[in-house]
Amino acid sequence: MKVPYVDIAEQFFEIEDQVMLAIQKVLSSGKYILSEQVSLFEKNFREFCQCKYSFGVANGTDALIIAMKALEIQRGDEVITPANSWVSSTSSIAICGATPVFADIGNDLQISVQEIEKKITSKTKAIMPVHLAGKMANMKAIMALAEKHHLFVIEDAAQAVGASYEGQAAGTIGDIGCFSLHPLKNLNAAGDAGVITTNNKALAQKITLLRQHGLASRNDIQQWGYNSRLDEIQAAILNCKFVGLPEVLEKRHANAELYRSLLCSEVVLPDKSIVGHDANHLFVIQCKYRDELKEYLKTYDISSAIHYEVPIHLQPAAHYLGYKPGDLPETELSALRILSLPIHQHLTKAQILFVAEKVNEFFKMKGL
Amino acid sequence: MKVGYSYLAKQFADPDVILADIKALVLSGDFTLGKATVEFEDKFAKLIGCNYAIGVNSGTDALFLSLKALGIGVGDEVITTTNTFVATVGAIETSGARTVFVDCNDKYVMDTSQLESAITDKTKAIMPVHYAGQPVNMKEVMAVAKKYNLEVIEDACCAIGASFDNQNCGTIGATGAFSLHPLKNLNVWGDGGVITTNSKEIRDKLHLLRNHGMVDRDHYAEYAYNSRLDSLQAIVGNHLISDVEWITQQRIKHAQTLDLAFKGLSQVITIPPKAVNEKCVYHMYMLLVENRDALNEYLKSKGISSKIHYPIPLHLQQASQHLGYKLGDFPVAESQAKNIITLPVHQHLTADEINYMIETVNEFYL
Repeated sequence: MKVPYVDIAEQFFEIEDQVMLAIQKVLSSGKYILSEQVSLFEKNFREFCQCKYSFGVANGTDALIIAMKALEIQRGDEVITPANSWVSSTSSIAICGATPVFADIGNDLQISVQEIEKKITSKTKAIMPVHLAGKMANMKAIMALAEKHHLFVIEDAAQAVGASYEGQAAGTIGDIGCFSLHPLKNLNAAGDAGVITTNNKALAQKITLLRQHGLASRNDIQQWGYNSRLDEIQAAILNCKFVGLPEVLEKRHANAELYRSLLCSEVVLPDKSIVGHDANHLFVIQCKYRDELKEYLKTYDISSAIHYEVPIHLQPAAHYLGYKPGDLPETELSALRILSLPIHQHLTKAQILFVAEKVNEFFKMKGL
Repeated sequence: MKVGYSYLAKQFADPDVILADIKALVLSGDFTLGKATVEFEDKFAKLIGCNYAIGVNSGTDALFLSLKALGIGVGDEVITTTNTFVATVGAIETSGARTVFVDCNDKYVMDTSQLESAITDKTKAIMPVHYAGQPVNMKEVMAVAKKYNLEVIEDACCAIGASFDNQNCGTIGATGAFSLHPLKNLNVWGDGGVITTNSKEIRDKLHLLRNHGMVDRDHYAEYAYNSRLDSLQAIVGNHLISDVEWITQQRIKHAQTLDLAFKGLSQVITIPPKAVNEKCVYHMYMLLVENRDALNEYLKSKGISSKIHYPIPLHLQQASQHLGYKLGDFPVAESQAKNIITLPVHQHLTADEINYMIETVNEFYL
């Protein structure tokens, strides 16, 4: 039985007619930039997240860069973030001229609040937790810490559409939330796309300027900015996909629960201690013999992935920051033990049973 | 009669072929730097006549990433013109560099005789803007650049197909930045941009810069950006790119018709001078006119979408305050800003529409 890690084609196959109709509608309108579909998407997203402002941008990385710029984080500032993440969280800090400061993670694979506190200096301006895998960081403790030290909080919610913490959606708890709508995400466009959320009016005004050349009106340039707009066509596609989002989240949740009930005790399951909803973007287990397990699964046509193999502080890009192996022991250890099993919404129960069976079989073979 | 500025709603009278390709794409999932993007890059390089084309998210990003690829940033100065779209300066300023303006000439492009006096020991690059599709005098730009060892980034966002001394805009400097915005001569259905270069080294650097600095999935060589031309947009570009020659010819033909018609109004209308070694592709058709605001209103009242590009030069915008320029610094650009008007010139204009425009302008000045 083949178990693919993702099945993007299947996602569009189901709603092909609606998507094509939506594209045609945009096409015949002749309006391709920041028009009705983007406005509708932003409204849909605001309602979904229960926040005051939302802005469609070109992609999740741009969402983070614009957030940093809106908070005027710059050269000389420090931003504390985890090293187990997609590179964009760190690069958005670095390319704004600020210094990324890495804090180690806890057993839950999320940035550790104790470790954040140790890294706070007089230069620290912000904390950027990452809701990796669709799992919320410990926002209550992070917000308390931020308040105590007067720091901004930028939530990297790129993988967390649909996640929430004590009833508050990811991306609406800190000052700014940044989402990706990349083809591999729970809510996805047919290309690059992203969205920014905030409840702060002053920040909303800055974001409006930053995403479109600093233009307050056609002839009034308030500040120098970027061009980072969600395309109308992608917004139209996203508006089609919004309808199915609750079902996507439910299916992913059901898949996760099924794995939890099936996998043997040699496998460390994703942490469940955070009070709230997990968006189950990834299902990350931890185990011994990770590479062997991955190979074993592959022989049965089961695809799995590692998010991510080399922690960010040990990448060539981070060389100038002066980190070395051993600086973030929990992050480094987890990089050797993590494995993301397929969890997407198009998996059948039989496929999940098959994956779990093969994982368990592997550990039985290992004599564990 | 209505003469629209945007022709997008009529551009695709029969979009079924493109939609069929998009449908196939959507079912393939090949959305990011996929086959369609590579195909478009090849076609674009061939069209412009350069070694490499790199698809990015927008024309603004094409300028910004060009600066980054050439290592230009904080502490550096870049020379450009003040009468341009905001993105030219936005790209320089967001890269961390400082903008130094020079004035423009009677063709609405960089007055290259002012370059040398604008150079300081911090100058790293010149960014000539082939504004409205009119090429800058690249011979002089390149001569100054060579003398002072400066990089040249061509802002060719309006200038697909334009040339100077038979060399295409975007192939003369270190890089050329093009926009595929819906209103450009070659357009896609959203934001899109392309960088052209003949240097393999610059291409390799740009491949890193546009895609997170990724050498492969698990290794990042440097902190970088996400700026990719979507496969979906590349599909649109692949269909339209074969029309560029026709689009350019139509625009030139329309401009010539208008030029000829307005010759008789030389007391009130100034047509920019022409040179045989400069191929203007008329992304915009701009005139200097007496009583501009009233003409603009009159044309609008008659259903003609004229526009002003732009009433306020960039050195006088609030965003430029930190640069310390003031009114009077660039007299040509400042004067043009008061008299300039843009008339529709797009490839879908009919002879009737053009005649109607000519009649209406004449009527106004009667």
